[in-house]
Amino acid sequence: MKLTDINLRDKGAAIWEGWDRPRRTIFVIALIALVGIMPFAGNFSFTSILDTPISSYQDVLVYPIGMFVLMGLGLNIVVGKSGLLDLGYVAFFAIGAYTMAILSTRTHLNAWEILPIGMGLAMLSGVLLGLPTLRLRGDYLAIVTLGFGEIVRIVTLNISVTGGTNGIARIPNPPAIGPLKFGLMNSVNFFWLVFAMILLVIWMIRRLSVRRPGRAWEAIRQDEDVAMLMGVPTLRYKIWSFSIGAAVGGAAGVIYASKVMVIAPQMFTFNVSVLILSCIVFGGMGNMWGVVFGGVILAYLPERIRFITDARQLVYGIVLVVIMNVRPDGLLPRKKREKIKAKTGAKNV
Amino acid sequence: MSNNSELVLELDNVVMQFGGVRALDTVNLSVKKGEICALIGPNGAGKTTVFNVITGVYAVTEGEIRFNGLNLAGKKRNKITQMGIARTFQNVRLFGDMTALENVITATDVHKKSGLVGALFGSPKSRREERESAAKAHELLAFLGIDHRADQLARNLPYGDQRRLEIARALGTNPQLLLLDEPAAGFNPAEKVALAADIKRIRDAGYTVLLIEHDMSLIMGISDRVIVLDFGKKIADDLPSVVQNDPKVIEAYLGVPTDAS
Amino acid sequence: MNFSVLTSQFWSLCLSGLSLGLIYVLISLGYTMVYGVLRLINFANSEIFMVGTFATVWVETGLTGHTSNSNPLHGFQLVYTLLFALVVSMLASGLTAIAVEFLAYRRLRARGTNRLASLISAIGMSIILSESARILTHSRPQASPRLMEKTSFGHIAGANFRIDTVLVVISALLMFFALDRFVNKSRLGKAIRAVSMSEENAKLMGINLNRVISVTFLIGGLMTGAAAFFFMTVYETTKFNVGFNLGLAAFTAAVLGGIGNLRGAFFGGIALGLLETMSAAVLGSQWKSVTVFVVLVLVLLVRPNGIFGEAIQQTRV
Ligand SMILES: Nc1ncnc2c1ncn2[C@@H]1O[C@H](COP(=O)(O)OP(=O)(O)OP(=O)(O)O)[C@@H](O)[C@H]1O
Ligand SMILES: [Mg+2]
Repeated sequence: MKLTDINLRDKGAAIWEGWDRPRRTIFVIALIALVGIMPFAGNFSFTSILDTPISSYQDVLVYPIGMFVLMGLGLNIVVGKSGLLDLGYVAFFAIGAYTMAILSTRTHLNAWEILPIGMGLAMLSGVLLGLPTLRLRGDYLAIVTLGFGEIVRIVTLNISVTGGTNGIARIPNPPAIGPLKFGLMNSVNFFWLVFAMILLVIWMIRRLSVRRPGRAWEAIRQDEDVAMLMGVPTLRYKIWSFSIGAAVGGAAGVIYASKVMVIAPQMFTFNVSVLILSCIVFGGMGNMWGVVFGGVILAYLPERIRFITDARQLVYGIVLVVIMNVRPDGLLPRKKREKIKAKTGAKNV
Repeated sequence: MSNNSELVLELDNVVMQFGGVRALDTVNLSVKKGEICALIGPNGAGKTTVFNVITGVYAVTEGEIRFNGLNLAGKKRNKITQMGIARTFQNVRLFGDMTALENVITATDVHKKSGLVGALFGSPKSRREERESAAKAHELLAFLGIDHRADQLARNLPYGDQRRLEIARALGTNPQLLLLDEPAAGFNPAEKVALAADIKRIRDAGYTVLLIEHDMSLIMGISDRVIVLDFGKKIADDLPSVVQNDPKVIEAYLGVPTDAS
Repeated sequence: MNFSVLTSQFWSLCLSGLSLGLIYVLISLGYTMVYGVLRLINFANSEIFMVGTFATVWVETGLTGHTSNSNPLHGFQLVYTLLFALVVSMLASGLTAIAVEFLAYRRLRARGTNRLASLISAIGMSIILSESARILTHSRPQASPRLMEKTSFGHIAGANFRIDTVLVVISALLMFFALDRFVNKSRLGKAIRAVSMSEENAKLMGINLNRVISVTFLIGGLMTGAAAFFFMTVYETTKFNVGFNLGLAAFTAAVLGGIGNLRGAFFGGIALGLLETMSAAVLGSQWKSVTVFVVLVLVLLVRPNGIFGEAIQQTRV
């Protein structure tokens, strides 16, 4: 069997489609519960192998793992679904984080109130950047977004409101929601917060994928000229894709800033964009589960295995080249199967 | 044959220049409502270029194109499709990673009112439109006899079905004018006969058809009128029987394999 | 903001802008040549440049045993050392370029995958190069020794005609014109042009596509390597990420002139060098890359084909 023939995604999808509704519901709830108790996995001797040597395991679950899965899903709408190469995704993360940092230290707004503002600003910058560049072919978008990511960083370094090199400190944590506190010692709650956001994004992507926007993106990715000739308003949907991706990045930024409480420009380099891109490419462009898988693996391994911590960026570079050359659809590729009819097909599988 | 002489499409002194190549040289032509009009000519005559200028792929160098009397100059491609012109491609250009059904539904989206926000929150309008377009798409696939392929990926379809799917997809945009670019290319004689019948049924369903084709017998069988291009110039425009005996046309084709069968 | 420098130091800014611009011209050839034949942006070109700067440092320190305190070289020894460094830098970049093409592009091209895959593969390649350099140098800047006394030929209208600036301007001009002649006159150059006009026709004419593409990468790399040497002669230090901003600027220069067009790259590079130098003088040098970026977006917005460019939006159905 060739490496490229193994397709776990299709196998999983076939099993899923063979199930009836109650079974699916039970599976989803069990899965959510399982992921929900992940933060405690480090507490038991038989799972302590998961523990990370440098940072606390529970923190690692929030950042990088949770954050990168979240941003991976956001970027995947742009890169995987619509085929638009955005190399400056970190810019939206930075915009969200700085919105949180500036507003929370200068006004009385709290993180929950800033969240929509940060997402809105990220979205707006996505539209402003997209309008001139999304008309052009993909390569130009790649390089312009690359530049944009860098520009946002340079601007935060050089203007006073962002605190220059020192960044902004004393960013307050989000206020508690009922019994859930979000303080220095509440990594578990932060993890649940990020997990909830991930679930929300997954829900959104699933919704959009099977309807008009998903088809439009898919058509644009596969053949933009023909998409246009079939009546798809390509520019509009590219901008949607771009700005929804940006909003997810902005949301991640707001939460990140409110968790780490200190942010500075060196947290928002090109490397972050590369990491998120690698998660997508590694797991499988265009396939949500692949992105989740890629995000978990690529964010976790460098934390767990010390000797790649310093060389992690190099590892990501190698991942990009090797995956593109050997298995361009990633480890869990997008759907290749023929659709199986939900109920009748079950017996024939 | 339709006697209604209302003009759907008019090309008025159209010139299309690619660097040193004059692909279309002051072409005047028109298509009447409800007719099957064939566009023929040797390889490189400029037939596909006619389609490309009509659908907005290229902006004409000179001249004017009108659809139902409206000038198409400067209109975006998706706008032109929305106005009622749809096409197929000489080299099959399906969305290969989508199922046959999704290919057609994508085309039906052009007339949808609900957008992204409606889709996200499952607005009643969006849900209704999704249902309707799925039904419409199945109907079109059935019309072309490929509904059993609905759930297969387009790139896995047999060649003939891919060509038929291209037509179904174009019809999905609910066009007034359907442009077919060599739909019978690569077909065997039996398939050609079936296709000819399909094209007639399409016309009888109320669509106007402009058809590029190399197969003379197919053209003679179904077209109401034949336009002949040679080196970017129109050299004939008449009933099939007249064009067939036109010495200029015969000369243009001399030595050019027409694979008539 | 300080507009008065524009008048008080105008000619001096012009001169340094010109030398920077010519460095951009040579780097942007690495983008423009590859774009011409493959219709793809060579993302790794910035790292191909970086390799050239490291090669220059390596030759100038390693092979001459020169340290920052050594006496400057003179006469024949100086010329010989500089030429040697130039050649090694060009070769290092040229070979890297060939390797990049071989590792990142060739397989994908043979398989006929989409552009996205090639772009990502090239970005991966560029990360591998810069990260290897970072790890090998422990993120430390590398300085090349001052081999020559940077004496001045004199001042004209306030501009200091320093020996290194003059050297860079003259040699870069020579390089560019040599390349231009090569592409327009030699057999290989004609093959490259044939491929960039139409790959299919070139194949019909019996041109070996893989070979032409390799040669194109090589030539782009050689020019980029030369730029790296000139850069080190004037600015004297480099770092693993030196290519990032220079690459972006050179790419902008290529787009400004019209990507795929040699003479376009020439004017684009010089225009951008001048613009960047002037804007740095007025706004402060920390805003240099912002200026470059704004220029890039404006060009794409207003004139995406560049000043001399071919249509980049062309589609064929
Ligand atoms: N985008 C383009 N750029 C340059 N030349 C073009 C372009 N499109 C078409 N041409 C040229 O215009 C002429 C007409 O081409 P066209 O594709 O319209 O021919 P055709 O009649 O469809 O031929 P065939 O029967 O082979 O499909 C040809 O010489 C072709 O090379
Ligand atoms: Mg044709």
